[in-house]
Amino acid sequence: MSRKNILRFLAVLVSGLCLYLFTTHDAFLYQQPVGQIVQVSEGTSQKTTDEFENHDQTHQQKLTVLIKNGHFKGKKVKVKNTWSNSGALDQKFHLRQQVFLDLSHKTGQPTGEISGFKRDTYLVLLVWLVVALLFLTMKMTGLKTLLSVTLNFVIFLIFVNLDVQLNLTHFFWLFALSAVLFTALSLVLVIGFNRQCLVTFGAIFSGTVVALGIGVLVLNYGGDDLHYEALDFATQAPKQLFLSATVIGLLGAVMDAATDIVSTVFEIKRENPQVGQKQLFKSGMEVGRSILGPLINVLLLIFFAETFAMAVLFFRTGNSISYTFEWTMSLGIVQSLISGIGIALVVPAASCLAALVLKGEKTDASH
Amino acid sequence: MQVISILTLILAVLMLLIGGKRGLVAFTSVLLNCGLLFLTITLIAAGFPPLWTTLFSGICLLALTIYMGTTDDKVANIAFGATLCVMFLMLLLIIPVDHLVQIKGFANEQSEEIEAFNLLIGVNFEQLAISTAILSTLGAIAEAAIAIASGLAEVVEQDPLIKREDLYQSGRNIGFQIMGMTFNTLFFGMFGGNLALFILLNKLQNNFSYYLNSKIFVSECLLVLYSAVAVILVILVTTWLVVRQVSRKQFR
Repeated sequence: MSRKNILRFLAVLVSGLCLYLFTTHDAFLYQQPVGQIVQVSEGTSQKTTDEFENHDQTHQQKLTVLIKNGHFKGKKVKVKNTWSNSGALDQKFHLRQQVFLDLSHKTGQPTGEISGFKRDTYLVLLVWLVVALLFLTMKMTGLKTLLSVTLNFVIFLIFVNLDVQLNLTHFFWLFALSAVLFTALSLVLVIGFNRQCLVTFGAIFSGTVVALGIGVLVLNYGGDDLHYEALDFATQAPKQLFLSATVIGLLGAVMDAATDIVSTVFEIKRENPQVGQKQLFKSGMEVGRSILGPLINVLLLIFFAETFAMAVLFFRTGNSISYTFEWTMSLGIVQSLISGIGIALVVPAASCLAALVLKGEKTDASH
Repeated sequence: MQVISILTLILAVLMLLIGGKRGLVAFTSVLLNCGLLFLTITLIAAGFPPLWTTLFSGICLLALTIYMGTTDDKVANIAFGATLCVMFLMLLLIIPVDHLVQIKGFANEQSEEIEAFNLLIGVNFEQLAISTAILSTLGAIAEAAIAIASGLAEVVEQDPLIKREDLYQSGRNIGFQIMGMTFNTLFFGMFGGNLALFILLNKLQNNFSYYLNSKIFVSECLLVLYSAVAVILVILVTTWLVVRQVSRKQFR
């Protein structure tokens, strides 16, 4: 390793250490009371068995928490905690962990309970790890890839905020518009604004629209056995919400496929201008064929893995396989399927568009 | 079930029309993966230890996705080796971090959905959270590993006597190209999938400190960040494996 690299590595390490020290001592930035657990005494345990023969155990803890900010800074408060072996909604506390508190005071002496666990240190450190890895392996160019994701995230939040502010009846179109913006922005950042970018955009747009059209047709006329109300956290019309989530969810994978195909076709044309239209189309399809399966699997795994906790809870509480499937997994599967159709459709769309556009160039060059 | 059957049929026909025999193989791999995931959930619910079950099905998933996703055996072998390596590295990262950050189980925002359930069901929700994190990274690293391995195989084919440093550089170039798009796939897949959650959080008018500390938001962010780390690692490991193989051949 060269001296420059060692210095770079040290700088990254020191920045991580600074972030760690800062986020473990940032209680003064919070409005809510933050405390650190300074003493733990374990209490009694109790075994439980429910009607489905699930065995579990709950435990009592008595904690002494040192308040680190606000009016009661430096004072200690005693709180109780109950935790279970499974830990679906609770957790065991250990010495030196930091927590948020709900405090009340009657006679000058604070009393209260734990309202949440302080997680900011770990979130910040993991962001740091990603940035550090990108910087160490790819230098500045690595950080550029983060720019696109960060910009998209900001736009995403703006649109979510718009949706809440405007409270439209047909809010699906708002998110459809956001999808168009995401696509345009990402493509310009990755490819640059040129003909290749326009072709890719056209392919993505047509592929996604047709896939969604198919999806809506099937959802509307293919029977009404889908439980949109099973959608987690739904606060608006669940069917529109589901479609909006599907559009945004499939966008990344469709973009991935389209850019791969279009850039390969353009590259072939650049290296060998004599190649015919048919051959270009075939090459595009060949690229598409090889990425089709892995890309659909990426989305399937993402959508499926998120249902794990809920599905296990359903199974363990005496629900049948078909009921559990319907209420926890079916929406994720439908989302994966519509995304898969989108990815499949973008392959011929991208190959065809790229071949068509490049045909015009050939006649130009021959003049 | 009718909607799902119709959509599955449409997808199967499309993949067959577009990809021919390879399309059919790809469709089968998606179907098998789906079955495998469902089996994993039922096994865990039946009392098998979540972590070991996930490890086992994870290896099967990777093998299915990679060996059915590419026709070149050499590329597949390298991609499989690299993804296995990265899966174990990710376990070393995810197990301690998930324990420290305590994002297991359900969040307060979900209390409405789960209030009908007795939550003391004797399943280790921390291990379940680790399973979710591991599985959601696997698709992305399999795709990235195949892309890098086949890209580098082409580079080596064109210049079999390529120098180590040049090959590393090519790996970095190809890696950089696919990384941007893979990040996009993950980002849109995860945040798009959680649109309803983001709308809810926005409606609750929570402040910045809430986002940095709430179980649900932190756990969704961690999923994206884990995947990002895994993709970067898989680029490095795949390139390293290709270089090792090529330099061994050149030495002979």
